[in-house]
Amino acid sequence: MGHHGHGDKSRPSKKFKFASKEEYRSSTADDDQYYPEEGGDDFRDGEREGKKMDFTKLELKPDHANRPLWACADGRIFLETFSPLYKQAYDFLIAIAEPVCRPESMHEYNLTPHSLYAAVSVGLETETIIAVLSKLSKTKLPKEMIDFIHASTANYGKVKLVLKKNRYFIESPFPEVLKRLLADEVIGKARISSEGMYGKDGFTVSRTVNEIEGGHDELINEVDLAAAAEEKETHSFEIDPAQVENVKQRCLPNALNYPMMEEYDFRNDTVNPDLDMEMKPQAQPRPYQEKSLSKMFGNGRARSGIIVLPCGAGKSLVGVSAANRIKKSCLCLATNAVSVDQWAFQFKLWSTIREEQICRFTSDSKERFRGNVGVVVTTYNMVAFGGKRSEESEKIIEEIRNREWGLLLMDEVHVVPAHMFRKVISITKSHCKLGLTATLVREDERITDLNFLIGPKLYEANWLDLVKGGFIANVQCAEVWCPMTKEFFAEYLKKENSKKRQALYVMNPNKFRACEFLIRFHEQQRGDKIIVFADNLFALTEYAMKLRKPMIYGATSHVERTKILEAFKTSKEVNTIFLSKVGDNSIDIPEANVIIQISSHAGSRRQEAQRLGRILRAKGRHQDRMAGGKEEYNAFFYSLVSTDTQEMYYSTKRQQFLIDQGYSFKVITSLPPPDSGSELSYHRLDEQLQLLGKVLSAGDDAVGLEQLDEDADDVALQKARRYAGSMSAMSGAKGMVYMEYNTGKKGLIKSKPKDPTKRHQLFKKRFG
Amino acid sequence: MPQVKIVARNFMDMVASLPTVKLDMLYDNSFICEAILRSLPPLAKKYVLQLLYIDVPISAKSMEEWVLPDGFSKHKVAIDRLIQLRVMTETFDRKKEATYQLNPKFQFNLQKHMVHGGVLPREPMSSNITVRLPSLEELEAYAVEQWECFLLHLISSSEAGKTTNISSSMMKIFQRGLLSQRDDREPPSLTESGFQFLLMDTNAQLWYIIREYITNAEERGVDSADLIAFLLELSFHVTGKAYNTNTLTDLQRSIIKDLSDLGMVKLQQGRKESWFIPTKLATNLSISLADTTSRKQGFIVIETNFRLYAYSTSKLHCEILRLFARVEYQLPNLIVGAINKESLYKAFQNGITAEQIISFLQQNAHPRVAERIPSVPENVTDQIRLWESDLNRVEMTPAHFYDEFPSKDVFESACDFAREYGGLLWEDSKRMRLIVKADILTEMKEFLRRHKQ
Repeated sequence: MGHHGHGDKSRPSKKFKFASKEEYRSSTADDDQYYPEEGGDDFRDGEREGKKMDFTKLELKPDHANRPLWACADGRIFLETFSPLYKQAYDFLIAIAEPVCRPESMHEYNLTPHSLYAAVSVGLETETIIAVLSKLSKTKLPKEMIDFIHASTANYGKVKLVLKKNRYFIESPFPEVLKRLLADEVIGKARISSEGMYGKDGFTVSRTVNEIEGGHDELINEVDLAAAAEEKETHSFEIDPAQVENVKQRCLPNALNYPMMEEYDFRNDTVNPDLDMEMKPQAQPRPYQEKSLSKMFGNGRARSGIIVLPCGAGKSLVGVSAANRIKKSCLCLATNAVSVDQWAFQFKLWSTIREEQICRFTSDSKERFRGNVGVVVTTYNMVAFGGKRSEESEKIIEEIRNREWGLLLMDEVHVVPAHMFRKVISITKSHCKLGLTATLVREDERITDLNFLIGPKLYEANWLDLVKGGFIANVQCAEVWCPMTKEFFAEYLKKENSKKRQALYVMNPNKFRACEFLIRFHEQQRGDKIIVFADNLFALTEYAMKLRKPMIYGATSHVERTKILEAFKTSKEVNTIFLSKVGDNSIDIPEANVIIQISSHAGSRRQEAQRLGRILRAKGRHQDRMAGGKEEYNAFFYSLVSTDTQEMYYSTKRQQFLIDQGYSFKVITSLPPPDSGSELSYHRLDEQLQLLGKVLSAGDDAVGLEQLDEDADDVALQKARRYAGSMSAMSGAKGMVYMEYNTGKKGLIKSKPKDPTKRHQLFKKRFG
Repeated sequence: MPQVKIVARNFMDMVASLPTVKLDMLYDNSFICEAILRSLPPLAKKYVLQLLYIDVPISAKSMEEWVLPDGFSKHKVAIDRLIQLRVMTETFDRKKEATYQLNPKFQFNLQKHMVHGGVLPREPMSSNITVRLPSLEELEAYAVEQWECFLLHLISSSEAGKTTNISSSMMKIFQRGLLSQRDDREPPSLTESGFQFLLMDTNAQLWYIIREYITNAEERGVDSADLIAFLLELSFHVTGKAYNTNTLTDLQRSIIKDLSDLGMVKLQQGRKESWFIPTKLATNLSISLADTTSRKQGFIVIETNFRLYAYSTSKLHCEILRLFARVEYQLPNLIVGAINKESLYKAFQNGITAEQIISFLQQNAHPRVAERIPSVPENVTDQIRLWESDLNRVEMTPAHFYDEFPSKDVFESACDFAREYGGLLWEDSKRMRLIVKADILTEMKEFLRRHKQ
């Protein structure tokens, strides 16, 4: 099964190190390091090309037409979406395998050790996995696949760490596994054996009911397979609460390799007080939200893990519902202050939580809840911050540290670096951890960390199914090809301009004009609300100033951000805003339905998906959005690329994630239309040349990417903001003056050369 | 070598081009008369039947009265076809007006055939001699397998497992126009026509091959009329029945061997006797002459992410897909691949066009997606066309590169010289390098030689 290992094989060379914040920041600047996934792609392709995947010898079952999938020896699975068994097969596959791509007719999945770990941890057993897979398969299952499932699930999910009535138990249906654990010195010592002896091995024997949730049992029944639905015996022993972390460490794959599942028997937790809140009647979870919750609470306890839902599909309702089911104190972590406000709002919107039971803890607002139970919403940085804090926040953080949290709710887990997680998780004591994200991009090595730090992926929704159901917007994606003007391209090709390449292709006048055209079209013809994204601060400023639109970037204060967003929401005058990459994540802008992307972070698939997510929240009436409804497309995503530049290459890479989810990008080659455009900016050559001069004379550091800290808000906690860029890049107005001065001078040199020796050879002869 | 034009159903053109004597000889055989009748366009068929028992010439004028004004072009086609095939003859009366009459031999034989039915030169053998004949399914599978094996050999695929008995010289004839070989060391590659050929349905392909087989007959010392007569006769045999080989002439016996390599008949050897069993490919020969276009069910699904899924067990399909896609997985009844820039560039280089690929994908769309409009996602078709047009952005000009000029003067006068002749493509005065069009190479040589002295 060499195929499965290759992800790991390619990793060591690109190991992440997070020694300090400074180091992390520098690594973000490096595309290759920040996106280790990019290397993985080529590797996968290369291997496929080299080795012919010939599985024609697999034995086809006589009734194969009625079965929905093919399974290959290398772990690849193909699923027909038009099969009558599709829905059941999808739920099953998403539990046991990683989706590779999920377009309309055929899905592809990969069985990986991680995906099987996730499968066993939501209660699927090895034999069930093999039996159901074999029932669904058109062919006999390849022996390699069966062996692989056995090998991958041998150790995973066998052991659970359960916190019951504030005593820690290690639980397993397999007494021999417990014996093996106890043979370990650390675990042996950690055992508390004050209890009376029950089972023959000295373990406490109890009976637990099988999964309440019936998803796969139903499927098994449907394909006529005997389900092992009787009660299960579990064996357990108690361990010393002080030793929990050590015991967990010993169980990790690098030691005993029995990673422990964490489950929280919150109903029997009598020590931590209950939080008095209910979901409001209007908070009706949608089917996929219900399903993800059922994966989490499948056996009446709360499992730790990650739920993956597209942006705009209502992750917050899932988060709030989870907190409501557990009904204990909840610590909710977001990525920035705006998002903190939004989470607090969501809690109040969906649940009956009282004002005094919920509080926000950010650099700007340091609230504390009254009573002994409540919800705290804060940012990762506030908790993980290592520097000196104000006296007030020190007190709050002390409370957070000392409390036993029922639920640790973590938003946007894909953007938070692993070291931050380690810190947050070690600081806070929680019974159950729930991570939420929209884009768990595969091949990202951080997924390994997430698996063991938070828990396995519990559920992942299919984007296209949600679009068809009208739960998220149906987005028309387009890649707009903007040819470089001759002058810009000539400069682009010069070696000495290598550091200005990005600025040159972003400031390409044809791109500017396409952008201006699209803004006009959507504002005037359709009355849409538009977000323009630019990673390049120089371009962001140039575009926004020229087009007279408000913009938000890293240095924009919280107050100003809120003001601009409010105006965008309510004012008829403000229909377009420019955002730097601060807008990529978790700023909720439900009004927007058009995105124009003029520059982006190299080949980041995640960024592309996150940006698309800004407009996925479905608008208008539900029945109009359903498949076959009135409006075919209700949201638009334009990615503007300058042809023949690096951008084209990056653009293809960036789209891969969305394309794998079934989105397609239409290529538009003539914008603005040939018969129009004189009313747009940079129509005349002299204007274009002036712009070119401006780009060329700006400092190299000024035209680069915005260097943004993970959460700009909270760095401001103690000291002034620090950016890696130069001041000229940050202070828009000053830079403009300086640059314009430069432009004039450069133009002068060109038209009247003073020193004949510096003339071009050709001219030298003619004029000399 | 003339470019072979691939036309699907032009077998009858071939019949029509036979000399008058041979054509009339063909009509001695009443089965051939029926085959010809079947092949005719509907209106022509009707005219033949209408005129079948009329022994006097009919004026063109009165025939024209049979048609509605908007059907006139069809009328013209029908008349032309009938005259070409000498089914009908055109004569001019004293007023120089055209009249038409059926070919008497054709008329007589067809009349006879309709009244008495045809009698084949041979009867099926009794089942107590031929033990264990293949079932119709087995026969069908055999035919498909043989035909695919032949095609794989035809396109010189390395996937062709079984060997074929068709002589290499004959194979070379079939390959004419379908394959091209730039030089002997390279394996031959499909031409544009070859690609078109592969995209046709089986009957059309078969006709193409049979046509080549007939055209080439005279070279092998075989009378093409005899060959045509036998092939048409064969199509009236019953699929799955065994016919004794000893009823065949020597010529026919050698033909039948070739036909078995194409999957048109299956040869079997008993203890004493040997026999041939016509497959559907043979008996459909005359049916497929008619315009009944039976669409084969499509098998390809293309997704918006450029993934390609082909519901097929055929190695040949796999080979066809390989022409423009990268095949990644082969499953018992599914081929999984992807279309990407590299695979398409390879196809374009072999002379396959974006439109051909797109129409192949559309024509063979799996029923699941065939109803959808468009059946191939728009972003995929757009991208295929864009990649193709991307290739056309660069214009190639054969050129010659010069450097290491002895002096600046020589370099600059060389530049001027080339400019004068309109052949200067590029110059780099700093490093004294120069590129000129290959057209002016001789003039340039002459110029430089003069300057050396």
